[in-house]
Amino acid sequence: MTTRRSSVGVKALPYFLILPTLAFVSLFTIWPTLNAIYLSFFKQRLNIARFREPTFIGWENYINLFHDPTFLKVLKNTLIYVVGTVPLSIVVAFLMAWLVNQPLRGRGWTRLFFFHPTVLPMVSAATIWMFFLTPDYGLFNTTLAWLGYHGPQNWTGNPNLALFGVMLVAFWKNAGYYMIFYLAGLQNLPHEVFEAAQLDGANLLQQLRYITFPLLRRTTLFVSTIAFIGAFQTIDHIFVLTQGGPSNASNVLLYYLWQIRFENQDVGRASAVTVILILVLLVFTVSNVWLSERREESQYG
Amino acid sequence: MSKKQVFAILMLTLALVISACAPNTPAEPTQPAQQEETQAPETAPSEEAAPAETEAPAEPVTIQFFYPVAVDAPIADIIKGYIADFEAENPNITVEPVFSGGYGDTYTAIMTAIDGGAEPPAVAVLLGTALYDLINADAIIPLDAYLDQMPDKDAYLNDFFPAFLENSTYDGSIWSLPFQRSTVVLYYNADLFREAGLEPPNSWQSWGEAAQALTVKDGDTVTRWGLEYPSGWPYWLFQPLAIGSGQNIVGESDTEVYFDHPDVIEAVQFYIDLSHVYGAMPEGVQGVWGQAPTDFASGQTAMIVHSSGSLRGILEQADFEVGVMPLPGQEPDTYASVPGGGNLYIFKGASPEQQDAAWKFIEFLTRPEYAADFSIQTGYIASRQSAYETEAMQAYVQEVPQALATRDILQYAGRELSVQNLGEVRNIFHNYLQQAYNGEMTPEEAMAAAQQEADAALADFR
Amino acid sequence: MAKRTWNRRALGQTTLTLLTWALGLLWIVPLLWAITASLRPLNEPIQRGDVWFGTTLSIESYTKALSLAPFGLYFKNTVIIVLMILGVQLITITLAGFAFANYRFRGQKVFLFLILLQLMIPTAALLVPNFATIRWLNLYDTRLAIAIPYFGSAFGTFLMRQAFLEVPQDLVDAGVLDGCSWWQLLWHVYLPPSIPTLTAFMLSSVAWHWNEFLWPLIVTKSDAARPLTAGLVRFTQLGEIGAQWSLLSAATLLVAAPLLVVFLIFQRRFIESFLHSGLK
Repeated sequence: MTTRRSSVGVKALPYFLILPTLAFVSLFTIWPTLNAIYLSFFKQRLNIARFREPTFIGWENYINLFHDPTFLKVLKNTLIYVVGTVPLSIVVAFLMAWLVNQPLRGRGWTRLFFFHPTVLPMVSAATIWMFFLTPDYGLFNTTLAWLGYHGPQNWTGNPNLALFGVMLVAFWKNAGYYMIFYLAGLQNLPHEVFEAAQLDGANLLQQLRYITFPLLRRTTLFVSTIAFIGAFQTIDHIFVLTQGGPSNASNVLLYYLWQIRFENQDVGRASAVTVILILVLLVFTVSNVWLSERREESQYG
Repeated sequence: MSKKQVFAILMLTLALVISACAPNTPAEPTQPAQQEETQAPETAPSEEAAPAETEAPAEPVTIQFFYPVAVDAPIADIIKGYIADFEAENPNITVEPVFSGGYGDTYTAIMTAIDGGAEPPAVAVLLGTALYDLINADAIIPLDAYLDQMPDKDAYLNDFFPAFLENSTYDGSIWSLPFQRSTVVLYYNADLFREAGLEPPNSWQSWGEAAQALTVKDGDTVTRWGLEYPSGWPYWLFQPLAIGSGQNIVGESDTEVYFDHPDVIEAVQFYIDLSHVYGAMPEGVQGVWGQAPTDFASGQTAMIVHSSGSLRGILEQADFEVGVMPLPGQEPDTYASVPGGGNLYIFKGASPEQQDAAWKFIEFLTRPEYAADFSIQTGYIASRQSAYETEAMQAYVQEVPQALATRDILQYAGRELSVQNLGEVRNIFHNYLQQAYNGEMTPEEAMAAAQQEADAALADFR
Repeated sequence: MAKRTWNRRALGQTTLTLLTWALGLLWIVPLLWAITASLRPLNEPIQRGDVWFGTTLSIESYTKALSLAPFGLYFKNTVIIVLMILGVQLITITLAGFAFANYRFRGQKVFLFLILLQLMIPTAALLVPNFATIRWLNLYDTRLAIAIPYFGSAFGTFLMRQAFLEVPQDLVDAGVLDGCSWWQLLWHVYLPPSIPTLTAFMLSSVAWHWNEFLWPLIVTKSDAARPLTAGLVRFTQLGEIGAQWSLLSAATLLVAAPLLVVFLIFQRRFIESFLHSGLK
């Protein structure tokens, strides 16, 4: 029997131990992925009786999708949403963590202020923000007006603002969550290095640039990975605030997927969108890991 | 080792049993099969009483009733009250009301439930215009068999306002009956009109001018708009503009739309002009549907375009005289509106007993006295003409003359957009209408694109 | 010289404190507003320039919200769903984490990879095929349907594996010498030092599933199985709510409050357990 650390138990035991997890993961991750790939090559529309039985149509769902201006708009929105929210949340999360890691007065409170959106359901957060984003008397707008902004105000109804409106809510909700991981990272940094750097006369920015950031690279990798995946899988606020509108201006992949499947009842097309969503997720996470590792190599190699 | 082995397997089985079974127990009461059981105690006492009251004691049957709430009125409570009355009359029938959001949400929820393998509702309120989609999905049954059994079938059907029955027939059958029906109306703050010495508008121009005159600015910021046009149901609220311009967006057939007709384009332009020329309305796509009545009632806007179904809620909140009228047309002294709202449908997936019970429930809900009561409590237009002759209604319209005004608006109503593949066609129209409202495309470009895409979406059905 | 440095440092500290507080207050404003708005009398609609306080404090928004929707039932459903997921996950991730950390077996890497796929393909993305599975299992409109896709957790398995790998080899060897069986080894040697990781996982699992919305909305049709989040959205869709912000805020807080209160009470331990766990 090959064992790593101890050989207690029977030979078949490890298989039994992983069986429950493996069974659930197979049933709700692996099988559905394969099933979606399979069904994406079929035409199946549940709301039209004659198209209810799946018929094989090859790549047609994919071809139609990439010729559909709405889908292309959704892809573009998704890209803007992810690229717009993830890096900003991470930078602000780091800033928050750094601030509340300083010996400041009342840092317990500020930590709490930053972190509390994490435990608010997204639908609650969005309902509150619905008021802030209301035209005319909404607080976000009155604040902006006070700051001298006189541009358009309808953050959920204006096609140029709606996507920004939902991104703002996601940013507010997530930054405090990511902060926790940076805080953990900062607290685990070796103090000696900083003391030595201070003796060498390194200023704050130099310390951040040459010590803190490189040492927190793993944290950043972890945070950016969960942030990327999170950005693709949370659409609750879109549901509450804009329903993807106006004219799909704030529609993103997962919301679109929900619409196609449950509003239009187009199973074939929805399966194709599922496959595309999975591919986009894989591309994002894998390239994120790859980029991070390459940077690490170039740093030390 | 062998002893350990046995124990290990025991533990594992236990773990698996726990992981597989633990969640089962608490979840059980929600499973469909169990639901009927939990209701049994409620129906039991009435069952005992049943034989004494009715000659033919029937088997107990439970039906689900899906309904949307789309207006500012306590619909849920009203429905519960009707169900209680109905159950008292029919002790063997239990009606389970299910609220699932607005019309779109309710439609999606029902389709998802059917799709999820759950028992479908026996009866539901859905948009009158959902007819073709529901037939295409093979989800509903025609009501002819039930209607034919009625001794006074013709009198019954003729009593409904014809405008409300327009969406009920297909292929020579009747598939739905009107329930919560409405029209698009213009609510105006009559006090403000009087103060400003203005008459209610009778044309696009006088409408725009009145809205302009009633807009109040504090420096650069508007403190009261002349008019708000909420963003919910864009096609519906837009239709009166198109009709008032001379061309409805939908024809008589179920596959004909006129999105790119010059008159329709003019109507889009008028919407834009209300903010750009008259400065009387927020620009582009506006606030959400539910917010407009509150804005109007709290005096933040002098007029709103909304459903007549919001009348009751507005009257309760407003401390000024509320005027109700059809939307002015382009030419002087022309007016336009469009009917809307929900009909009652019976679903195919329900058992024959449930369908029979559902029909009884429909008959009950469409009685003149209930149609009248529903109208009084909500502001919806009563679906039947005889409802306006009931005592309750007579008394009510004395007190609230606006209720008669909403009914009389029906005479200006054109046909509501209802075509094959409606979900997709509607989305296409909304998409381009909003792009035009928001100035992303000119009205001409937007409507041409909408027509082209809609024609493609309808091609399969012509 | 020394004094000037001290002054500069003090000045820097003050600036940082102010900056932190400013940012912190900015972050808490939405919650504060929701609380004051929810305590506003119902008949005083929020208007321009008058968004913070009504004439008196009133709880009628809460009583009205509670009368309009069965929040008590939603709350019960949420608690059952969250505990159901947590209970099963604790067992599955501990066993699997233990297997991957303690044993070396054929196919180990493949199995680990298969499980970790779940990290890259989040369950939310698979709602279309998973809906079909729920139908096939005949679970539509049950609480179990909401919970079951999360019974196996790649994240948890991975966390527990990492935590178990950090348990010193000496301890493991000592346990084996004492004649521990595998479950004794797990219970007495591996688990005790891994409690912070387990706690952190528990907290994130509870927070995540308490707040979940889209999947529960899809697989439930009736109030009987509906959790708080889906209930709140249905509530906001009631036409009569419209723009009654006090009512909306009250309902929102009713939904958010249980977790928020628990978090406030345990916030120090909450954050600490994140800090000391493998979540970094």
